[in-house]
Parts: sequence; C-alpha cells; structure tokens
Amino acid sequence: MNILEFHNVTRAFKRGINVLDEVSFSIAPGEVVGLLGRNGAGKTTLIRTAMGMIRPQAGTVSVFGSDPAIDAVAVKQRIGYVSEDQTLPPRITVEKVIDLHRSLYPNWDENFATELLERFALAPKMRIDQLSKGQARQVALIGAVAHRPELLLLDEPAGGLDSVARREFLETAVRLLAESGTAILFSSHHMNDVERLAQRVVMLQGGRVFLDCALDDLRENYCRAIIPGGHGATPSELHHLDGFLAARQRGGALHAVFHLDPESASAGIRERLGFETSACSRLPLEEMFIELAGGTI
Amino acid sequence: MMIHIQPGDDLPIYRQIMRQVTEAVAGGRMKVGDKLPSQRELAEQLVISHLTVKKAYDELEREGVIETRRGRGTFVAESAQLPGKAERLENLRPACRQLISKAWLSGVPFEEVLQMLGEVRDQMAAGRKSGHTARDERED
Repeated sequence: MNILEFHNVTRAFKRGINVLDEVSFSIAPGEVVGLLGRNGAGKTTLIRTAMGMIRPQAGTVSVFGSDPAIDAVAVKQRIGYVSEDQTLPPRITVEKVIDLHRSLYPNWDENFATELLERFALAPKMRIDQLSKGQARQVALIGAVAHRPELLLLDEPAGGLDSVARREFLETAVRLLAESGTAILFSSHHMNDVERLAQRVVMLQGGRVFLDCALDDLRENYCRAIIPGGHGATPSELHHLDGFLAARQRGGALHAVFHLDPESASAGIRERLGFETSACSRLPLEEMFIELAGGTI
Repeated sequence: MMIHIQPGDDLPIYRQIMRQVTEAVAGGRMKVGDKLPSQRELAEQLVISHLTVKKAYDELEREGVIETRRGRGTFVAESAQLPGKAERLENLRPACRQLISKAWLSGVPFEEVLQMLGEVRDQMAAGRKSGHTARDERED
C-alpha cells in the first residue's frame, strides 16, 4: 500500500486561480521524493494538504489509507513534519519541547532523542528564544523524527540555515532513512541536497505536476541542446521534435530540453531541422531544473 | 580506500561511486578480496541515501567487480578485471578534446601539438630517471 497518495488534488485560494491543479502522485514505503518547483509553484500548499492543515476543494489526499483532515491524531502519530516557517513556543525550554513531543507519541525513542540533542549540542535548559534559527530548527527536527515516523514531510527544512546546520539536518535524515525505512517527501531549493537524498523528483509548475521521474533517469536520459541563433529554428518546430519538453531563449540561442540521450537529440535536430549541433549534453539537477522551470516556449 | 562524491557533478552519484571503485581496482589500490565499507557506513560517511549506495553496489556486482558474501560483507571479486581496451581509450577522449581546444586557441597547428607530445614524453622518460618531473618531485 502507498504511504501517501494525492489524487487530482485541487485547491484555489482565489476563485479561478488554482494553487494546486489536479495533482496526482503517490509515495511508497521507504521512498524519498524531492518536491521541486519555483516559489509559488504550490509545494507548501501540497505538503500542508498531506498534514491535513489545508483541505483540497477537489480530489483526495490519503495518508496510510486515511484522510489526514479527519483521522488527524492517528495519522499525525505516524508522521514527522518540519517547515521553514514553523515556530516553537518562544518562552519554553528545549527540554519542555521534547517532553511535549514525548507525551504525544507512543513510539517515542528516548535514546534517539538524547543522541540527537547531544549531536546538535543543544542545552536542554535553554529557552527557544535564546537559540539561533538553526538550533531552533534542530529542536523541531528532533520533535519530528524521534518517534521514528513512517512518513517525514519536510517543507524547505533547510531554508535560512547555514551550510553546517543544513548538512547536520541531512545527516539525520540519511540515518533515519537507513535505520527506519522512513518515506520522505521534501521540498528544497538546494539541488545538491536533493541529489544526496532523493530517488525520485516531482516537479510542480503553476500548481500542476510538470515532471515525475527517477532522479537518475533525469540525470542520464534527459539532455539539453543549445541551438544557436541564425538557424531559424522556430518554437513550433521544436514542439514537433521527438522527446521535446521545454525551451527558453537565452541571448541569441535557444535552450531546448529533450527526454532523450544527447546522441538521439542531436540526430533528431539533424534530421528534422537540418543542422548539426554538438552542444547536446546531460545536466546536473540544478542546471536541468533551471532549464525546465525557466522554460517559456 | 576513501570514496568521495560531488553532487552537481556531470555524473549521478551512484555512477561516481562505481567509477571510483572500478578505478581503485584497475589501479591496484584495491585488490581481490579487499573489503568495501557496508552500504550503511558509506551512506552515512558520504551523507547520501543508502539506496544510492545500494544501487552502485548492485551495478558493480552485476559487472563482476565486487561480490557480496552473506553475513560477511562486500569484497572485491575474483572476476574483477581491467576495463576493456575500448573503455580505456574512451577515457582519454576528454583530455584530447581539451588539449586540441587549447592548441587551437593558442594558434598552435595540430602537427606541432603531436610533435610536442613526443617531446614531453621523452622529457618525462628522462625525468623519471633524474627525478625532474613534478610527479617524481612529489613522491620524493
């Protein structure tokens, strides 16, 4: 059974403008999915529907087979959630936050919580408002993982953190994944972190799923061709090429992304448009994201 | 052996691991029977998903470079061999490309590049005896 299922999830905050537009995909146990998209693409809204914090106007969300807005307590006991704008009560101590979480979760793993407190060098008697942003996020992370959830929802967990804190965050996720087989859905603008953690990427664009594929597939079976100006290639000609996904104008040249290996993409351009391009290459995730998310043609 | 990875590199992470293990075996830094780190250890050390390490190890096992012995770990396999000649030649292509581009930008004709290659090789051969190349100096 899938741990998390989005089925045609649609949500608008203003009439006629869908923040989420028929989003469908699911996550299997132990699967790690990177949720990509530009600001405003719908990532936060989608993750909040999985937490039951926002209800879709059409479509269904199911977590462990239940509706997270109805079976809220039962579902949340098996989920961990960290978001960039999450705030802990400022006037209470780290210890108190941990106590609160312990009382909420029957499966609380005291050894794991203690170990993480030590690893992050967090003083139990410190008040939340005395901590740095990174330390406060680490407290939130302990609260989100020490019950060894089956599903971890991370909404820009590293947003605003320095590189060291970000790496410590990743280390914790890597361990939890290996030890507990936790499924993870996480949104991030740090593509290198996504490469480290995710097996699969789902990319949202204007509230719709634009791409849903294995990360290694995206790295190996997709490519970008740079078509210099002067060849007279028009956007509509590009749309007729096999495997064409997106294109954008850069200076005098067109950047086109194909779901093909570079050799096949070059061959297609040669046969259909009648010229040679040697500038076809596979791309790291960050570059590929920019080409796809920035596509305007 | 130390494996290191670079997200954002031209190769996916599992391929980076595969390449380093293969090169370590081909270069003699790892020998038949040597033990590799466990999937969990390597995942924690590199801060990557253990599933990525598993994919690299599965592929290396399929290629016969490593083998898993139940309950004992993962080892360099008897069947580990040097990559074929074609692959070794192919590995040189990026360096050739770079050299030819540099020569062209400097206006050096291709024939002179070939001649220089011969000269450099001769210098290196001589240097190896008298300790004059950068590499030999490092090793001293």
